[in-house]
Amino acid sequence: MSTSNLERAAVGVAAAGASAAENNTAVDELIAKIRDESDQVRADAWTNAGDVGAPAVKPLAAVMTDDALEVARAAKRAVWKIVRHSGRPGADAERTAVVDELIALLADAQPGSVRREVLWMLSEIGGDEAVDPIVPLLSNEELRENARMALERIPVQKSIEALKAGIDAAPKDFKLNIAQSLRKRGIKVPGLPCAKLTPAKQTHVKPYTPPEAKDEKE
Amino acid sequence: MKQPRQLSRRTFLTAAGAAVGVPVLIPSGVLAAKDKPGANDRLTVAFIGVGGMGGHHLRDMKRFERSGEVAIAAVCDADEMRLLKAAKTAGAGVMPYRDYRYILERDDIDAVVIATPDHWHAVQTVHACESGKHVYVEKPACCTIEEGQAMIAAAKNNKRSVQVGSQGRSQHEAYLAHRYLANGAIGKVDTVTCFHYPSPADTDPVPDSDPPHALDWDLWLGPLRWRPYNARYCHGVFRWLMESGGGQIRDRGAHVMSCAMYWMNADGTAPVSVETTGTSPTKGLWDSCVNMNVTYTFKDPDWTLTWNQPGEPVPAEERGEREAKISRPGYGAVYHGDKGTFVHWGGDGGTWAERKCREWEPPAGAVEVYESPGHKEDWFNGIKTGAKTIMNIEAAVGVADLCNLGNLSYILGRKLEWDGANKRVIGDEAANRMLGRPQRHPYHL
Repeated sequence: MSTSNLERAAVGVAAAGASAAENNTAVDELIAKIRDESDQVRADAWTNAGDVGAPAVKPLAAVMTDDALEVARAAKRAVWKIVRHSGRPGADAERTAVVDELIALLADAQPGSVRREVLWMLSEIGGDEAVDPIVPLLSNEELRENARMALERIPVQKSIEALKAGIDAAPKDFKLNIAQSLRKRGIKVPGLPCAKLTPAKQTHVKPYTPPEAKDEKE
Repeated sequence: MKQPRQLSRRTFLTAAGAAVGVPVLIPSGVLAAKDKPGANDRLTVAFIGVGGMGGHHLRDMKRFERSGEVAIAAVCDADEMRLLKAAKTAGAGVMPYRDYRYILERDDIDAVVIATPDHWHAVQTVHACESGKHVYVEKPACCTIEEGQAMIAAAKNNKRSVQVGSQGRSQHEAYLAHRYLANGAIGKVDTVTCFHYPSPADTDPVPDSDPPHALDWDLWLGPLRWRPYNARYCHGVFRWLMESGGGQIRDRGAHVMSCAMYWMNADGTAPVSVETTGTSPTKGLWDSCVNMNVTYTFKDPDWTLTWNQPGEPVPAEERGEREAKISRPGYGAVYHGDKGTFVHWGGDGGTWAERKCREWEPPAGAVEVYESPGHKEDWFNGIKTGAKTIMNIEAAVGVADLCNLGNLSYILGRKLEWDGANKRVIGDEAANRMLGRPQRHPYHL
């Protein structure tokens, strides 16, 4: 199927009342193109993935860790296209459907690289519904910084409350991170001063000494 | 009398307290008005980011050091190989640092030159202003709308002079172009069409790997979300990553559109809509547009600015043996007025104006425009007098906003209706979330 056919199929899927069979066909075709050997075919596929929408999120996520570097990359970019397309004004039903699919990908069974990407996707289009599923990841050492930043960005009161609760539960070395997010959201955090201006990294490079100065020392 | 580089302003004032009236050579503005070095005072400067443009600035600053206008106190980089080289260039006694915050702690340093990758510009500028340093920061000013607003606030609240490195405004032929257009030589201009060759695609992608031993990858990434090191995501080529360099539009767009905003007297204004179409690389890590067309619509006064990769490049004009050659003909802009057109090439350190502009003689009573003495000299003047620099932070953020909104419209695949006064995309909540982005601890605004 040419890209234009894929586009037509995608438009059909997006239309109200698209059947499960139509959805499956469009998703299968999208995945096939994402796995294609041709750079151009893959690029055309992910570029036009937006309209295929929520049904494609889970199948694409499975390809995001494919051994073939460019196939995995194309799958990731396709999901991003879907996320950003679903966030457009007036498409709340599509956005909600995509968010539901993304939330499912936060599960422990998913690879860390996928979950990290999904956190950032949710930071762009998630609302109240995304907060509770993100909260447990504040305790995941690998993902907690991304989870913290996602909550910071989701502009609902519930995410502030989650960060407040998270700061109490957080280990000492992560409290400052959450405090940063709370300050960003306009919340005062006494007792946890901002560390942004505190230097921490030493160099091994010494000031330059001209050869003649070295000779004098010797 | 050669002053020790490590002398802090506080220490000096204490030591000098008993010697008021005794003429001495002073390393920085320690006896000038509070927070403002005097006209004859030597500025003490440090460099944050010393590869690429940072290395250029360091070498360029040596001429001001030789003339006694500045003292170079410190250099800093996350890459120890670059730092080692810069320490040698800077000379004996100059302190090298990996972490720029050691520089910000030093009271004896008046000003910093920031030439790190784009994703660091805003954070380091804000931190420097908050630490009392004047700032020269490379273009583009920022990567998000939110960062730009924070930079403006930090400069204003701390009364620091900030010059952004869109040095095209300080070129002689830019002055001629500005004067030509300001005097209506081509009438009322309603369209400015920028052209630029495409961004490159990565035709030889490589997998993620361990970073080079000399590179502090965590510090290099700084505010960005963590990702594994990749050789296609670092020195020089960060330019082609949307989250860092932003492609040609945020590189050369910050030059060519800087000229447009200045010459059109549009600093401080913003478009009412931004619409982008573009094509992506078909493979590889780089994700900035290869080809790109952005239309910015301005109202009151009405005019249109377009950014086009590649657009319709105008061949460089022939120049005589004694005229400056156009060494970068691949980008520039065409100004369309109701009485004619005007072309310039380049727009950065190389800015070349069309012959008819260069040969134009101002009539009696012509409008005069500011001619910069040089981009760094203009900055020094801003530090010493409090005058607005030619590419002050408000103007530079306005230009960076154009670049960033152009990219945002491309990323989202939709036209943005822009409320420039309130810095909001009208009716698009998802777009508004992307006007800023969370930053890693502790590398944040």
